[in-house]
Amino acid sequence: MKRNLLVILVVVVAIAIMIFAARKLKNYPHYSKLPTANVKGKPAPDFTLTSLDGKTVQLSALKGKAVVLNFWATWCAPCKIEVPWLVDLQKQYGPEGLEIIGIAMDEGSKEEVAEFTKEMNINYTVAIGDEKIAEAYGNILGLPTTFYIGRDGNMISKVPGLVSHKEIEDNIKQALNQPATAAKTQALESN
Amino acid sequence: MRMRIVAITALVLLWCAAAVAQQKGTVVSMAPAPVVYVSASRSTPFELNFRIARKFHINSNKPNSELLIPTALKLSTPTDIMISSISYPDGEQLAFDFAPSEKLSVYSGDFSITGKVRPLRSVRAGTYRVHGQLKYQACDDRACFPPATLPIFFDVKVGKPPVTRTRRNPGQSPSSPR
Repeated sequence: MKRNLLVILVVVVAIAIMIFAARKLKNYPHYSKLPTANVKGKPAPDFTLTSLDGKTVQLSALKGKAVVLNFWATWCAPCKIEVPWLVDLQKQYGPEGLEIIGIAMDEGSKEEVAEFTKEMNINYTVAIGDEKIAEAYGNILGLPTTFYIGRDGNMISKVPGLVSHKEIEDNIKQALNQPATAAKTQALESN
Repeated sequence: MRMRIVAITALVLLWCAAAVAQQKGTVVSMAPAPVVYVSASRSTPFELNFRIARKFHINSNKPNSELLIPTALKLSTPTDIMISSISYPDGEQLAFDFAPSEKLSVYSGDFSITGKVRPLRSVRAGTYRVHGQLKYQACDDRACFPPATLPIFFDVKVGKPPVTRTRRNPGQSPSSPR
């Protein structure tokens, strides 16, 4: 009887530890295992930041536009690869209503980021990010992490890590094709 | 049968413990550093061994771009214990899928940092703990993670200074050696 109890106890403890281990592993920042989190259709959290050129960047003010929110940093080698792609895509799809916002998660100075954006000829809005925005977007564990937001202000997808130019473009097209119904409705309601 | 269940459970427990220990939130871990035995005012080499989790790499101490964050060891020593000649291994020149044409200088797998420790003559015999931190910035083949620091420490055991014996004239002091 005592032996049975011991066995049960050991099994229960083992299960508890397994659950604990599984939770720990879930939080481990490995991109191949990172959940891309199903954000589709969820409203993009609003934020207000100041761009490098001193302008206020407020997401809610961009309703009706397709927004690409790209979290990056100057020390992030894969981010550097996609910057020229984003520059080209902003040029190509800007007239159709695309707004790319680069959120720099650098710990260094604003000047460093400004210098980098100049060197890379960045033609889209860049703002310095903080923990608040990273948290609002579900804790940004690695860079780059990109959110695609439709014209209606709802998220299309969250893409962690570097992906191909084609994948970025496809996501942009999807965001641009998202009708701004909700945005229009809200605008009408506010009138 | 019961023994088998207990054995399997024990194995599962061990696996979980190992997995959790390995995943303790850092990409880089340091092997327990052996005690460095030194004599006062003598330089003695030490070696710290690090392991980078599988599928990750970190920038070397001399990355190929100013923008990249180098791996750097900072040590704070107890008074009168000097650390010098910190030496980093050369990075591997690797190209990754995200930049096939650009080679990065990185560490992956295991790497060691060496240095020398020298207690000043004034240091009393005993064990002293050297604390420090390894700053690194890790990436995998698709993304990079914010700069992180790994707290480290190792012990330095300072031996008693050699007794300076005055030469005695055997003729005058025939005492037996100690």
